[in-house]
This record gives sequence, structure tokens and C-alpha cells, in this order.
Amino acid sequence: MKIECIKEQLEEVLNKADKIAGKNTTLAVLSGLYFDARQNLLNIKATNLDIGISIKLPVKVIEPGTVVIPSRIITPFISSLSRDKNITLSTKEQTLEIKTSSTKTNIKTLPTEEFPIIPEIGEDNAFSMPARDLVFGVRSVIYAAATGSIKPELSSIAITHEGDFLVFAATDSFRLAEKKVKIKKIPHFKQILIPQKNAAEVIRIFDTNTEEVSLSIEEHQLALRSGGVYLTSRIIEGVFPDYRQIIPKETTTSAVVLKQDLINSLKTSLIFSDSFNQMTLKLSPGAKRFQIESKNSNIGESIHLVDAALEGEDISININHRYFTDCFQSITTDSISLNFSGVAKPVLVSGVGDTSFLYLVMPMNQS
Amino acid sequence: MDCKQLWQNVLVEMELGVSRANFTTWFKDTRIVKEDGGVVVLSVPNAFVKEWLLTKYHNSILRSLRNIENSIHAVEYVVNKEEARRRDDRPAKDLSNTRELPLPEITVNKEDNLNPRYTFESFIVGPFNELSHAAAQAVIKNPGIMYNPLFIYGSTGHGKTHLIQAIGNHIKTTSPGKKVYYMTSEQFVQDFMNAFQHQKIHIFKEKYRKYDVLIVDDIQLFSDKQRCQEELFHLFNTLYDSNRQIIFSSDKHPHFIPNLEDRLKSRFLVGMTVELPAPDKESRAAIISAKSLQQGVTLSAEVTDYLAHTINGNIRELEGAVNALLCQAQLKGKELSLLDVRNYVKNNVKPKKIMAVKDVVRIISDFYNIKEDNIYEKTRHKEIIRPRQIIMYILREDFNISYPSIGDRLGGRDHTTVIHSCEKVKNDIKEDRELLEEIEQIRGLLAVS
Repeated sequence: MKIECIKEQLEEVLNKADKIAGKNTTLAVLSGLYFDARQNLLNIKATNLDIGISIKLPVKVIEPGTVVIPSRIITPFISSLSRDKNITLSTKEQTLEIKTSSTKTNIKTLPTEEFPIIPEIGEDNAFSMPARDLVFGVRSVIYAAATGSIKPELSSIAITHEGDFLVFAATDSFRLAEKKVKIKKIPHFKQILIPQKNAAEVIRIFDTNTEEVSLSIEEHQLALRSGGVYLTSRIIEGVFPDYRQIIPKETTTSAVVLKQDLINSLKTSLIFSDSFNQMTLKLSPGAKRFQIESKNSNIGESIHLVDAALEGEDISININHRYFTDCFQSITTDSISLNFSGVAKPVLVSGVGDTSFLYLVMPMNQS
Repeated sequence: MDCKQLWQNVLVEMELGVSRANFTTWFKDTRIVKEDGGVVVLSVPNAFVKEWLLTKYHNSILRSLRNIENSIHAVEYVVNKEEARRRDDRPAKDLSNTRELPLPEITVNKEDNLNPRYTFESFIVGPFNELSHAAAQAVIKNPGIMYNPLFIYGSTGHGKTHLIQAIGNHIKTTSPGKKVYYMTSEQFVQDFMNAFQHQKIHIFKEKYRKYDVLIVDDIQLFSDKQRCQEELFHLFNTLYDSNRQIIFSSDKHPHFIPNLEDRLKSRFLVGMTVELPAPDKESRAAIISAKSLQQGVTLSAEVTDYLAHTINGNIRELEGAVNALLCQAQLKGKELSLLDVRNYVKNNVKPKKIMAVKDVVRIISDFYNIKEDNIYEKTRHKEIIRPRQIIMYILREDFNISYPSIGDRLGGRDHTTVIHSCEKVKNDIKEDRELLEEIEQIRGLLAVS
């Protein structure tokens, strides 16, 4: 194999593929990147057997061929070439030679014939939507998904089709995030569950993509295609909890605050929160007071008043700081509405005037 | 050759042909799900493995299979979701360390601590708990005025918690304005300690003084806790003086709770003190049929009778046995015969006491005032035969000893003799009330010895 390409373009593709390549695998070839050059296209593939990617890059192919190179060697190496623009890659027996105007490097290759085949899913029934919308939906909820694998359905993101919307949802049973994204076309699936780890890769790979992405689904497997990128992930078999029924229907106390105000106050209280990240929200609509208290017996304590429009009964509730602040990244409006329905009931957080996003967080035990 | 063994053999062969890393990556978690008419269906953990086996190893797999089973002519691959699940086995974040409440499910109501499951509708009234039930009804009609405090005591599993929670639940539904609160003594003590540590006793005092109906479970746990007793004493006085209903439960009569201050004891006795004794046999039968009816199953009179007879005293145990039996019935998809039930009881319930046959013989012969040795001898005096038959019957029914071994241990008698004796006693019981009473008395003796 012998090819010539632009350093920036190669670097970008390698960075995308590097994260997908296997880490600490028993099979050495899984930690490699598969280069396949033919017909003026370089196809770079990587997989850890959970998620797989294949990216096509237009290059000048002088001699077609294939090679597998350890990702943790070639990726940082290409990034380190700061001065050069054109790169020539050529294979000689068991090594890959990389030549630029100022460097010449040889890297040992891995056996090509052992590299796994990335499952190809047919494009029939594919459903397409702007990549931006997909990434936005996933990003709005991913932090609420559980990590670990005790309950696979909780460590995944549910994408459900409801009328004109795709509903993204994730929960780790302590908090729940739901985001609705409007779609133009009707998908052919009702609900899919994507593992949280793979969803994070979806965000990373398609983040800067401004085109449409097409989703094809087969049993156990999902494929995303956009431009020259093909990403495939397994789908979790399981049923996502029917979370709608736990969304409180009545509100006993409500508050509307400016997002930035709240974030600033919470920053202060974080300094004084205890090892459980606990803080206390005290709302007294009668006295027109909304205060955030946090206390750490080793450090000290702090009370912060927040300007807010309050309504309803007095309430004092303990919340995990981290869980509470997580959701602000997904709220696009300037004002936030907080709805309380009792001391041991979940708190409902949403943007004022924005019905597309909602967040539920459970209070901490009062004792 | 079964599928498992077949696949084992193939794996051995494959392992010889490929590198260790390759083998573990591609053949881990694979197995044969079925083999049908020469087609082998292979379960694989994910789509990658499926693709790989299909393109790279299909021929060698098929060849190995054919070497062992000549009739095999095709292999199919399916992705198994179970395996896929297990693939990623990193330990999850330890949630036990966090203090967040999980998103709600319907269980205990946080505000009043009452479990909605405990209602009067599901409380079964029999001769044994008539009195306490009546007292509870009186309290409901006139909370705070009639029988204040209501003190209910009885051994574990007799329905104390159910009864007092049912009172709370009932008052809550009939007069929604009233503040009801249920707690265990342990919670009270915990709460008190916390308040004490953080110097918030006044908040603690206030908290409990606002309730209209306060229910405290397992009050006997207060023994030895002097400061808590004092706090309870003051709380009691405040509530009592303002005619708020207080309900206590304990496993003993207040007089017998050790290290309880006299001023508390006398206060507990001001209102109504009732015992919840162990359910009698009829009540047990009623409870069993009610519990099974709740689950939508009717048990035959025979089975109900047998269960009521063998499982003594504790209602909780009864409920557990009924649940387990119903579950079994569902699994088997048929009605349970007396034999099934017997088997279950034999394996799961009791013997409450393991007793030597000798001891049983001793107790029963003492009861009838005859010499122990006579039982083992071949005497056929009427006064000996009857006790001997009863011994056989009890050994069989209560201790589940086999007929031959009973015969063996009672002086080498034939097992048919034993069967005859058991049947005879069983039949006689039906007509002879005196005999039935005698046997019940003997059972009582056996239980306490």
C-alpha cells in the first residue's frame, strides 16, 4: 500500500477512530486501526467489538493495499507532526513507513487478516435527521444515565418515537432527563436503547457534523451513516422504565429563577457541601425567600439568597448538588422553573417557556 | 451426544488451530442452542463475533462438527442478548453509599410512614383476636376518647403491626384532616439521638407533638433507654392531655417489659390493654383461605386443614407458606394435592423442634401415667395400646417420621401396624372430642418441652 494525504485531514479521522479502538484487549489487533486504500479512498476502521467505526477519506492512492497499525502509536505521532502538510504512507513487509518533508518513520504493523469485520447493516428503512439534532438530543440527557452494567436499560439512552418528536430519555433512578426533538420524517422504530458509552461516542463523532445522519436498525444492532462515516453500535435488549408515571402532576411550591443567578449561588454552596454533595433548598413564598444552604462540619457553612418568583407552600428539601446542577447544561432558556410537590417527592426542573426538556431529581433523605 | 458436549469437543479442536488471544476473543460465550435435522444453531455474544465466525471460521467449525456428527450439514449463527448483556461486566458504581432517595415506587407513604397494605379489609377476625379488633374499632369511632392509649401486645407474627397500622390507615381515610403518624420505637430512638447530638431537641419535641394519632410499634425496645423513656413520658402526657389518640404495641404486657419506668407502665395501663394471642386452628384455616383467595386461588378444605394444623402460631409463617405453595402451583400449572403440600411442609416448615423419639415417648407415657417401657413391649393391654397408637400418630403427623422407622423404633413393629394405628387415631379424632383435646394437650406439652 502506498498513499499520499494531507496531514490535517488524516489527523482528524485518526482522532475520531482512536477512541473507538479497543483498549486492553486480549487480541492485539483490536487496538489497531485498519487502513484500506483503493480507488482514491482511504477507509479507516476501528472497533472494540461493542462499537465499530469506518471513515472514508479521499487520498491519492499510488498503490492499493491494507495495513493495521497500533492506534496509540500512529495517532499521537501524526498529531505531533506540526510543520508538515503532506504525508506519504507506504508499507514494506511488516512495517509502515511514514514520510514527510522533514521526517521518516517506521512503525511495526499488526496482522491484517485478524482484524474483525465491522457488521454492515442494510440501508433499507433508513431514517434520516440532521446530525445536529441527534447530537443535541443525546447530549441533553446522557449525563443522567447510569454507569456500570447492573441494569443495562438504565445505563442506556432511550430514543422513542412519539408523533412529530423523537424523545430522548435517560435515568439512573435518582434523576431523570427527557428531551424532545422535533423531526420531519417518520422513523420506522418505536424505541431503541443505546448503551450510554456508545452514545457518548455518537456525540463525539457527529458533534461537528452539519449534514444529515441516517439511522438503520437491525436486531441487536444500530448503524449511523453520514458522509463518509459509518458507526455501528449494539442495541440494548430491554424495556426502559415507564417514567411518565413518576412525573409529579401536582405542584405545591414553585419558583422561577434566572439560570445564571442560580448557577452562581450553587457554585458557592458547592464549596461548603458535605461529602454527599448535600445542600438544602429552602423556599418560603410567604416571606419571599429562596435560600440555598450548605454545611460541612469540617469547613463551615454558607447561606445564599436567590432572587426568585415564588408561589405555594413553604418547603425545605435536601438535594445532591451535582445531580441538581447537571441539568443546567441542557436548559437553553434564561429562566428556570423549579416545581416542588412535597418533601419526599421529585423536584421538576425545566426551562421557562420550553416544554421540550424536563428534568426530575429526587431529594436526599431528610434524616 | 448432547449439544454442550458436542460444542466442547469442537472448541477443543478450534483452540488447537488458533492463537490463544484469538480463541478467547471469538469463542468466549458461544454455545450451541439447538441441533435440529443436521442444522446446528450457534449462539454468539454479538454481531461482530457472528460476522467473524461466519467469514473466518465457518468452514473449520463445520468440519469439526461433521467429524463428530456426520449428519450435520449446516451451521447458523444467532446473536444472544443474554450474552451480550454479560459482556460488559465492570462493577457498577456502588449505590449503597449514596443517600439520594430513588425515584418513587408505591410503598410506604413518607409523610405518615403507614403502609397502605395494612387495612381492616385484609385483617381476618377470629375468636382469638375478636377482643383486640373490637378495641381497635372503638378507637376508630372515637379516637382519643375511648381507650386511650390502646396497648396491644402479643408474640411476633400475631398481627400487631397489621392491626395498629390498619387503625392509622382507617382514620386517615375517614378523617383526612387528622395527622396520623406511625413509627417503630427504633425510629423514635434514632430520631431522638440525632436531635440530641445536633442539639435540636426542641424540633424533635415539636415534631411529635403535632400528631393527632401517634402509633408506636414494638415499645419493648424502650427498655434500658432511660432518656428516651423520659422523652416518651413527656410526649405521652402532652398528647394524652389534649385527647390525642396514642397506640402502642409490644411483645409483652407492660408489666413484664424489663427496665421500664413505673410511671410509664402505669400510663400504658390507663387505657385499654389487650392481648393478641396465637390464632386458634379455625382462625388459622380462615387466614389461609383468605390469603389464598387474595391471590385468586382457592385451596381445598383438606389442604387448608392440613396447613392450619401443621403450621402453628405465627401468621407470618402461615402467609409465607401459602405464598410459596401458590407460587409452586403456578409453576406446575396444576392444583396442589395434599401430597404436594405435605412434601413442601416437610421440607420447608419446621420441625419446629427436633426431638428424639424417646423423648416423645417419655412425654406421652408420662401424660397417660404409664411406664415408658410398656410402650416398647408387646403388651396388648387396652391402656397401653391407645397411648402407643397416639405416639405413632404424633410421630407421623408432627415429626414426619416414616412408617417403617416408627415401627422399628417402637419395639420392632411392622409398618402396616403403624399405618393402621395412625389411620385409627385419625378416624377416632373426628368423633371423639375428648381424644382430640388430649392430643392437643400433648402437642402443647411437646411444644414447651
